[in-house]
Amino acid sequence: MALTRRLLLGSAGVAALGAAIYGGSRAACSFVPRNHPDFFSLLDIVPDDAAARRLGRLAIEAGLAPDGLSALGEKLAEGPLVRAAIAEPCPTTRAELLRDGCAADFAQNRFVTLDGWVLSETEATLCAAKLLAGAA
Amino acid sequence: MISDLRAAGAPADIAGDVCVVGTGPAGLTLAIELAGKGRRVVLLEAGGEGYEADTQELCKGAVKSGGHIDIADSRLRQFGGTSGHWTGLCAPLDPVDFEPRSGSPHHGWPIRRADLDPFYLRAQSYLDLGPSRYGWTDLVSVGAPLPLDPARVETVIHQQSPPTRYAEKFLETARAAAKIDCWLHANLVDLTLADGSDRVENVTVATLDGVRTRVTAKAFVIACGAIENARILLNARSQRPAGIGNEHGVVGRYFTDHMTILTSLVLLNEGVDAKIYCEPFSVDGANLELALRLHPDVIKREGLNNNHAFLNARYDDALYSDDFRNYGWTSFAAMLKAFSHGRAPDRLAERYCDVMDDVGGVTTGVYRHVMRRFRPPDQPRAFAFRQDAEQAPNPDSRVTLAEEKDRLGLNRATLDWRIAADDFLKLRRTHELIGAAIGAAGLGRIRLEIPEKPEPGLAYSGYHHMGTTRMHADPTKGVVDADCRVHSVKNLYMAGSSVFTTGGASHPTLTIVALAIRLADHLAATA
Ligand SMILES: Cc1cc2nc3c(=O)[nH]c(=O)nc-3n(C[C@H](O)[C@H](O)[C@H](O)COP(=O)(O)OP(=O)(O)OC[C@H]3O[C@@H](n4cnc5c(N)ncnc54)[C@H](O)[C@@H]3O)c2cc1C
Repeated sequence: MALTRRLLLGSAGVAALGAAIYGGSRAACSFVPRNHPDFFSLLDIVPDDAAARRLGRLAIEAGLAPDGLSALGEKLAEGPLVRAAIAEPCPTTRAELLRDGCAADFAQNRFVTLDGWVLSETEATLCAAKLLAGAA
Repeated sequence: MISDLRAAGAPADIAGDVCVVGTGPAGLTLAIELAGKGRRVVLLEAGGEGYEADTQELCKGAVKSGGHIDIADSRLRQFGGTSGHWTGLCAPLDPVDFEPRSGSPHHGWPIRRADLDPFYLRAQSYLDLGPSRYGWTDLVSVGAPLPLDPARVETVIHQQSPPTRYAEKFLETARAAAKIDCWLHANLVDLTLADGSDRVENVTVATLDGVRTRVTAKAFVIACGAIENARILLNARSQRPAGIGNEHGVVGRYFTDHMTILTSLVLLNEGVDAKIYCEPFSVDGANLELALRLHPDVIKREGLNNNHAFLNARYDDALYSDDFRNYGWTSFAAMLKAFSHGRAPDRLAERYCDVMDDVGGVTTGVYRHVMRRFRPPDQPRAFAFRQDAEQAPNPDSRVTLAEEKDRLGLNRATLDWRIAADDFLKLRRTHELIGAAIGAAGLGRIRLEIPEKPEPGLAYSGYHHMGTTRMHADPTKGVVDADCRVHSVKNLYMAGSSVFTTGGASHPTLTIVALAIRLADHLAATA
C-alpha cells in the first residue's frame, strides 16, 4: 500500500485519540478506589525465606496480624511512614521509610514477640502478608 | 594484734568494746573502722591465715534447689573470708532498689540510697576501686554510647576491683593494730543472753581441737556471710527455742542470690559500634564496665525486678570463644598472676591439680590468648546479655538447719534456693523492653532466649548469698532494723549481705563494705 497523505493523517488522528483516551482514563481512574492491596512493593523488602514465612504464620496464628491480604494492607497503611513507603517509587527511599516506620512502632510500644524475636508490628504484618501473597 | 586460739595458753575470757565475728570484707572493714575510732575490737575468725581443709569442711551442708548453687566451696572460711574467691565487680545498689515496688510485696528497704551514699564513697578505697565514677557521664570521650532513649534504657557503670583480697591487703594492718585483738581458729558456737534480758552477755568460741573461750563486749556483730549468719542465730537455741532473733520465724528466710544467666541474642545493624560495652576501660584510674538497665520508672510501672545487662560479644570464630574458662583456667590464671608478682599462689596444690584435670581447656585458653594478639576480631554484631539478675524476695527461699551436726556440734545448714518462674519472666520482659528500645533507635533487633515456661535450671548462683537476716522496720518481716541491729536483742548486730532486704542488680560487696562502715560509725557513737 502506498504511503498517502490521507493515511498519514488518519494514523496521527488515531494515535492522538488513543493518547487522549489513555490520558483521560488515567486521570479518571485516579479517583476510583481500588480493591486490591497496594503494598506489594514493600514485600520485596521482606526476605523470601522460611524464617520470614514462619514468623508470618505465627503472627496470624497468634492473632497479631489479620488473616487476609486486604486487612493486612489496611493495617500497614495505618502508620504515616509506612503509608509514605507504600507510595514511594524509589526503592532506597522506600526501604528507609519502612525502617523509620518500624522504629516508630517500637517507640510507640507497637511491638510483638514471635518465636522470641521482638519485632515491630509492621514487620510482623509484612511477614504475614509475604506468606499470604506467596500462597495466592 | 593477731593470736591463735589453738596456741598454748589461750585465755578463758577475752574482753573488748565491740566483738566482731568474721574477717571477710564485712567484719574486717568494721574492725578497722572501729579501731580507727579508738574502740577496742575483739575480732574472731574461724579459720587460719590461709586455707585449711578441716575448717573449710565446716561449710558443708545440704542444698535443695532447681538452680545451680553451692554451699561448701563458694564460701571461704579463713582470714579475709570469701574475698579470697571474689572476682571484684562492683556497683552501688540503684536508688530504685531501696524503694517499695508495686506487685512485689517484699521489696523496699527501711533506708534509702541517699543514706548509703557517703559510705559508698568511703568504701571505694577498701576495695581499691579508685575514684567513684558510677555517675560518670562523659561516655562520648571514650567511644560511642548506644543512642537509646534514656527514658527507656540507661547505661549503667560498674567498677572493677583488682580484685582486693582482704587477707593480702589487711593481714599486716590487723597484726599491727593495737586496738584490734584478732583471734584465729575461733569459731563462734554460741551466744548467751544476760539472764532475763535482751542483751548478749558473751559469746562462746571454740577451736576444732576443743579449746573453748568466752568473749564479752558491749556490742556484738556477726559478719560470717549470709548462710552462716543465719545458721549461727538458728543454732543459738539454749535460751530462745527458735534461735536468737527468730521470734517471728524470719531468720534464714528470704534467701536470695543473683541469677547468673547468659542469654538472649542481640543483633546490631552493620556499623553500630558497641565496643565500649564489650571492653573495660579506665577513667581517672578507675576501671569501668558498662551495662544496660531499664529506667527506674519503667521498672516500677511494669513491676519488674532490677537487672543490669552486660553485652557479651558472640563471635563465629572459635578463637574468640571463652568456652575454655573453667576451674582449670581460673586456677591457672591465679597461679600465673601470683608467680608474676613474685609470690607463691595460695592453695597451690589444689590449683595445680585443677589445671592438671583440665589440661586441654587450659592449653586452648593459652593458645587463644596468644593468637588473639595476632588476629584481632571483626567488629562484633551479635551479642548475648550477661547478667546477675535480681529475684523478687521470697520467704520460702531459705536457710534452715539440717539434722546433721558438724564437728563443733552445730547443726549444718540446708539451703533451699527457690527460683520462681516469675523471676525469669520478669527478666524476659526486661530483655523485651531493652529490645524495643534498640528497635526504636533503629540499632537492631533482639531474640529472647528465656522460654515462656522457664525451668529453674537456667539460673546459676552468682555466689552472692543475701537476705537471710534482712533489714525491715517490721520485726515480723525482717530480722534487723535500719541500724542492722537484731530487733529483739539490744546489742547484737548483723553485717554483710544477710541484711540486704533485696538483692538489686549490683554485686553485693561494695554495699557490704559501705554498710559495715556505716555500722562502725553507729557503734562508735553508741558502744
Ligand atoms: C567465685 C565468687 C565470685 C564473686 N565475685 C564477686 C564480685 O565480682 N563482686 C562482688 O561484689 N561479690 C562477689 N562475690 C561475693 C563476695 O565474695 C562476698 O560478697 C563477700 O566476700 C562477702 O563478705 P562477708 O564479709 O560478708 O563474708 P565472707 O567474705 O564470706 O566472710 C565471712 C567470714 O566469717 C568467717 N566465719 C564464718 N563462720 C564463722 C564462725 N562461726 N566463727 C567465726 N568466724 C566465722 C569466715 O571464715 C570468713 O572469714 C563473689 C563470690 C564468689 C564465691
